[in-house]
Amino acid sequence: MFRYSATKRILSHLNQEPVVSNLGPTSDELWHASDRDRNFYTYGSMGLCSSIALGMALSCDEKVISLDGDGSILMNLGTIATIGREAPSNLIVIVWDNEEWAQTGHQKSHTAFGTDLEMVAKSNGLEKSFTVSDEEELDSVLMQALSEEGPWFIVAKIQDEPYLPVAPVQPEHTLHRFRQTFVTEPDRVG
Amino acid sequence: MTWSQTIVDALKENEISLIAYVPDSSIHQVTKLVDADEYFHLVSATREEEALGIAAGAYAAGRNAAVFMQSSGFGNSINAIAGLAIPSRIPIPIFINLRGEHGEFNIAQVTMGRSTRPILDVLGVPHYTIDSEDRLEEKIKGALKLCYASREPLALCMTPLLHGGKNV
Repeated sequence: MFRYSATKRILSHLNQEPVVSNLGPTSDELWHASDRDRNFYTYGSMGLCSSIALGMALSCDEKVISLDGDGSILMNLGTIATIGREAPSNLIVIVWDNEEWAQTGHQKSHTAFGTDLEMVAKSNGLEKSFTVSDEEELDSVLMQALSEEGPWFIVAKIQDEPYLPVAPVQPEHTLHRFRQTFVTEPDRVG
Repeated sequence: MTWSQTIVDALKENEISLIAYVPDSSIHQVTKLVDADEYFHLVSATREEEALGIAAGAYAAGRNAAVFMQSSGFGNSINAIAGLAIPSRIPIPIFINLRGEHGEFNIAQVTMGRSTRPILDVLGVPHYTIDSEDRLEEKIKGALKLCYASREPLALCMTPLLHGGKNV
């Protein structure tokens, strides 16, 4: 499975659901797939993608989708425990797992050596945890996740593909545009 | 009114209803009030940078959020401040119990405690030291107002002279 194609497929099932994307190519590909007001791209703070999504899920009633990565979530496995403890029914974590830190030179990650993120999630109380390896499987679990209570944790095994150009986004603009879709009174000066 | 109740009231006045934290024995005087109050959702994080991420997500989705931590844990949270809250302009009040101050008994707490405010300066994060109940309400409410007006993270450093510290 290739991440960019799978990202487009995920978006085809969404309406206005908030999506948070891990830094780097995951955010770039989300932007190229569709630059929605409800996309929250991250370009720093590696490891925090699903923590940000957790904070969103605890603050709105809509389904919130985190597009995380194996290297990122390995940096912050504790947040899986916090998601298990809080158990927000509207959170869907998708972990793109290429078993490596691709951008820094394809160094193998711990998932290449037996770390099973689905089992990590299950052992933290996330019963609805699955590993998928093609788009059809991803589709089927995602359709269920969008209609049934979670939290959901989906490990999506992916292969290398060429990177797309870096998305021309500014974090401040991303935050402002995203937030304005939630607040009743727009943020203003003074 | 106790110092901890003054903080809780100021949080409510600013509609800060999600608190993400890592437990600390001195800050427990505030977080136990938060935990007992249905107005708040208290989220126990496993690490301080995670708490910052959760608070950032809450704010992005329209809910004001603050974080509570100890100065040692502030060391664990720096990249979340530098790489998320600052570039995205996310106002997060960060309440820090400053270890390594008067009465500290643990040498391992001294360096991070002493380094906390200089690091905040280097990051460009405004911070205020709260070491007594003198004009406390004014200080806390003023700091929170500034935090949201500037849309920047802001730190409130609380010392043992305010909360009594950890006694062994």
